[in-house]
Amino acid sequence: MNIQSYISSGKLELFLLGELTDREREEVLDRAKRYPEIQQELNDLEETMFAFDSMTGVVPSQEVKDKIFTSLESTFILKENPKLIGDTAQVKVIPITSAWKPFAIAASIAAILASGAAFYYADKYQERNQQFTALLQDQSVMADNLNQVKFDYEKKGSQLDKLIAGDYKKVKMLGDSFELQKDARVDVLWDQEAEDVFVAVNQLNGLSDELDYQLWAIGEDGPVGIGLVNAGEKMALQQMKSVADAGTFAITIEPKGGSIAPNLEKLVVLGEVS
Amino acid sequence: MQEEQLIAGLRAKDRKTTEYLYDKYSRALFAVVSRIVFDKDIAEEVFHDSFVKITNKIDRYEETKGRLYTWMANICRNSAIDKLRSKEISQAGKTNTIDDFVYGMESQSGTQEHIDGIGVKELMVALNEDQKFIIEYIYFKGYTHSEVSEEFEIPLGTVKSRVRAAIQVLKKNVARI
Repeated sequence: MNIQSYISSGKLELFLLGELTDREREEVLDRAKRYPEIQQELNDLEETMFAFDSMTGVVPSQEVKDKIFTSLESTFILKENPKLIGDTAQVKVIPITSAWKPFAIAASIAAILASGAAFYYADKYQERNQQFTALLQDQSVMADNLNQVKFDYEKKGSQLDKLIAGDYKKVKMLGDSFELQKDARVDVLWDQEAEDVFVAVNQLNGLSDELDYQLWAIGEDGPVGIGLVNAGEKMALQQMKSVADAGTFAITIEPKGGSIAPNLEKLVVLGEVS
Repeated sequence: MQEEQLIAGLRAKDRKTTEYLYDKYSRALFAVVSRIVFDKDIAEEVFHDSFVKITNKIDRYEETKGRLYTWMANICRNSAIDKLRSKEISQAGKTNTIDDFVYGMESQSGTQEHIDGIGVKELMVALNEDQKFIIEYIYFKGYTHSEVSEEFEIPLGTVKSRVRAAIQVLKKNVARI
């Protein structure tokens, strides 16, 4: 490599101006390490720049100096007694002038208070964060509930509209004439014209998971299954399939999902359309 | 104080060492800032921030990557350039030339600054037009060499060799004065 042409390329000047890429910087540093002439030139140039800067500059005002050292105050570390560290001969003693003590004490107290406060607030923050998460979850549950309520409300609203607008007949189905559930009672509301059927469970025992209550409309063509009745949903209207012709309504207990034909031995309630 | 001692003291956050650093380098570093940022108050603000940054970031300085002064001067230079390009400073009406710097300094009241400025003019006179142009843009206007190359359509190699030549002239004259 031609050392002189490398030196005169201007690269070293740009190195000092901080204008080289990382890769180029590495190259300059590597060459300077290998060729003393390059290192020497780098040193000379740096001296020149420092001399040039020193010569052309003015001393910044005393106010700036004061401001800088005020800004730095908290970062200065007061030296511990060097004897505690080790060999006194090697450790340079930097005396702590008494004027610094009050600042040091004040700074230490401030630091302790600040760390205390930091821990306190970090803890509080953690706590608040957890509360916030819990609130978010609550809020999400509430939103779900609200949606459910809204849905139910709309359903009830439309049912009510139907009940008011329609011509519903109430058919009481009772269990007193059968063996299974003497006290059972379920009402059917039927608008023959609109063919809408609702049931309202008043009293019906719970069933095991394998069984369902099935509602039958018995007309001239015999019994027709018009839906399963939820025994748990008491005093609420459950909409069934539409029925145009029925003289009697009845509920039987059937296997889960219902049957095509009713099991008359498991008749629970029956009511005739008056 | 040797540079190693100085760096060790700075890393130990020692006040006396920091004061030594300030006394030795504040003038040169302030010059780096104030020839780019012409407004004295803003220059002092930039210098304040840069010096605080230097002492706070001393752990990031790597001796193997160059000398301390170069590292510090680059921090000052970059802060000054950032400031100059921020919207905070309007350079409107200010050409920021070497002449402004030289005569601006001389016109300031007080003998202190007058004495400080001795030699600048002599240094500048020694440069030819090309060199003066390069020094003006790179040192005083905070341009990078590639920006000078692009803006004035001077080949990058030419910019580099002019930077080199100008600094060589300064080198010779700094030694002489």
